[in-house]
Amino acid sequence: MGRVTLKEIKRFGYTRPDIRNGYADQTLCINLSDSEIAIKPVADKMKEIFVGGKGFDLWLLWQAVNASTRWNDPENAICIASGPMGGTPVYPGSGKSIVTCISPTTGAVMDSNVGGHFGPYLKFSGFDAMEVQGKSKTPAVVFIDGVDGYIQVLEAEGLPDLAHDRAAVLTDYFANGAQKDISVVTTGPGARHTLIGCLNFSWYDQKRGRARLKQAGRGGVGTVFADKGIAALVVRWHPVKLSTNDPADAETLKQVAKLHSLEILDQDPKQNHMSSVGTAHLVTIMNDYDLLPVRNYRYGSHPDAPLMGEEVFLKLFDKGFDGCWIGCTLSCAHGVRDFVPVSGPCKGQKVFVDGPEYETIAGCGSNCGIFDPHHVVEMNYYCDTYGLDSISVGTSIAFAMECFETGLIDRTQTGGLDLSFGNKESALELLHRMARGEGFGRIVGQGVRRMKEIFAGSFAADPALLADIGMEAKGLEFSEYMSKESLAQQGGYGLALKGPQHDEAWLIFLDMVHNLLPTFDKKAESLHWFPLFRTWFGLCGLCKLPWNDVTPADNKETAEPAKVMKHVEWYARYYGAVTGKEAAPDDLIMMSERVYNFQRVFCLRMGFGRREHDAIPYRAMGPVTVDEYESRVERYDSQLKELHNVDIDGMGTKEKMALLRRLREQRYEQLKDAVYERRGWTADGIPTLATVKRLGIDFPEVIDVLKKHGVA
Amino acid sequence: MVLVGGREIAWREGMTIADLLRELNDPFPYPVARFDGRAVTAQEFERATVPDNVEVFLVSLVAGG
Repeated sequence: MGRVTLKEIKRFGYTRPDIRNGYADQTLCINLSDSEIAIKPVADKMKEIFVGGKGFDLWLLWQAVNASTRWNDPENAICIASGPMGGTPVYPGSGKSIVTCISPTTGAVMDSNVGGHFGPYLKFSGFDAMEVQGKSKTPAVVFIDGVDGYIQVLEAEGLPDLAHDRAAVLTDYFANGAQKDISVVTTGPGARHTLIGCLNFSWYDQKRGRARLKQAGRGGVGTVFADKGIAALVVRWHPVKLSTNDPADAETLKQVAKLHSLEILDQDPKQNHMSSVGTAHLVTIMNDYDLLPVRNYRYGSHPDAPLMGEEVFLKLFDKGFDGCWIGCTLSCAHGVRDFVPVSGPCKGQKVFVDGPEYETIAGCGSNCGIFDPHHVVEMNYYCDTYGLDSISVGTSIAFAMECFETGLIDRTQTGGLDLSFGNKESALELLHRMARGEGFGRIVGQGVRRMKEIFAGSFAADPALLADIGMEAKGLEFSEYMSKESLAQQGGYGLALKGPQHDEAWLIFLDMVHNLLPTFDKKAESLHWFPLFRTWFGLCGLCKLPWNDVTPADNKETAEPAKVMKHVEWYARYYGAVTGKEAAPDDLIMMSERVYNFQRVFCLRMGFGRREHDAIPYRAMGPVTVDEYESRVERYDSQLKELHNVDIDGMGTKEKMALLRRLREQRYEQLKDAVYERRGWTADGIPTLATVKRLGIDFPEVIDVLKKHGVA
Repeated sequence: MVLVGGREIAWREGMTIADLLRELNDPFPYPVARFDGRAVTAQEFERATVPDNVEVFLVSLVAGG
């Protein structure tokens, strides 16, 4: 590693405002093209409509871009915010940040949530949100010193390229001996060479003496960051106490926080074991329910899945506190100490790996036909340190593997790589080539949508088959759950605003396992309420995991166990205790509904956000190949006979497949109709004038977008 | 003896999770049961035998990532 130099280009002093009831009441705007720094006030109306977090991000982004802005235009903005409850140290899961920008893979608005300390430290430093526009010609570090009240834009030389190293160096550089006061946002070389770059947000792990990383993974936010020439954003803040966020009613906050914290301590060891294995507990459960993606979502289970189950990761994970925010009793950000990669630039060195979580295990493991936990850990490490989204990497490699096995592409196109399912060495080598932007790696690094275009256009692959098996929607790769047998989850993926990410709606168990959503109306109601409540966490700087990954002991006796209403009520009290604005559970839904509909209109403004954009590939709905159908023939045959009253005697598999497809595609369209109606949208998926008026988001510019799309 | 939900149930050789639920007269569709460091999903309830002197935790909700 060479000598690191940071040369000051711009210094901007400011007077840090006191936080009032969870808000700093101002945002930070930095333009890297000319190093301009400005502070914008937050009006009460902005808080009323957009709440904070993702809402603030979207409003800043809306003003920064126009309808023709593309991801790599200078005006595209990286917006980062926490939320009014973000930074509360006593309530579990209160340290989240949300990143938004125009995405390189979807062309529309992307949002990605992430742990780590950056968002809360940014707020305590005086800014509810920040936006970074423009482009720097040389690698730029932005340093926000909330302790001493100044901001610097610095020209960086000699910074290490890998994210772990860069975060460590910058943490030490700015710490002044107190590393816990620092949080760094950075990416890695993969973000420069692909469209699926992620951002790493750091938090300093005092016990282990290292900067740990959490990822804002989805939709290429890291690629936009790299394209702007940003080497890192760094914030410095201390102290963090309950009073730092100035809650309106500290006693109520302490009471409700204690209830939730104690419940987690009591119930998590009896339920999902988040505090010991995190989301890795899901692997064998998903496998048993035929929901774990295997071989590019062809199948939902594999006998070798337990090789990557929670018992294995319980042994691999380093023991100790793993909360990505101070005081979180769920503390699920586990990692592997002294892991030694067998490939790539860190081959043979001991490294600390943050993760893996379920998504990476399923995406880079089972979905690629690989069931080796050590391989998954290595893929996890390199995805993070290269600045690549491990979900998009997994889904993209799985797609390339199926294309290879099906003969749609061959070694002449893959640069000699044997991309058969299960080939660990090739998967790793492909990842390294993606990060370097080399050959076939550069193609895969553009994501599934562009791979389909390239395979069809340049390699003469069958476009219809590519469309069926390429697991993306809106340009975003699917996250790692099988949705074939859950129509509600197909909607959860297809009707999600940014693309098929489960953070909006995860309805598989409700729909498929518990059969609680038997009608279109019930599915539509769930595709209204759950996305809205999940959205609310992103407005407030909160993690959703404490809501429903641990539940009260008596939850099953409540009217709607899936909503975990006891926790929803606690969150309403929490919101009121911080902001001083009393709220009931329905008020939380209303807050989200405003922002959710605004985001849909924003997508429309960018040329998306209509019915046609809510399409999903058939692989997400049903069996594409004869092999898939026949592997679950009893299930599909019985559905045709019992659900659809079809006489299948004498029918061949292909005939049954065609019939099943027609029926399932019809049902998906019927689901869209039901959901659009429940959401107050037109049949084309656009919020109606009455809806935006009811929500109070009928600003002239919103009405203008609706009018341009025929809604008056 | 098996402890489940605060209740003590007499153990017998070959006792399964499904037997336990029948004894509890609990019709809730639990997706997962945990005991002895293992997670057992509902499809296995009829086959998964419970050892003596364990506590069984019935998980009522799996919520995804």
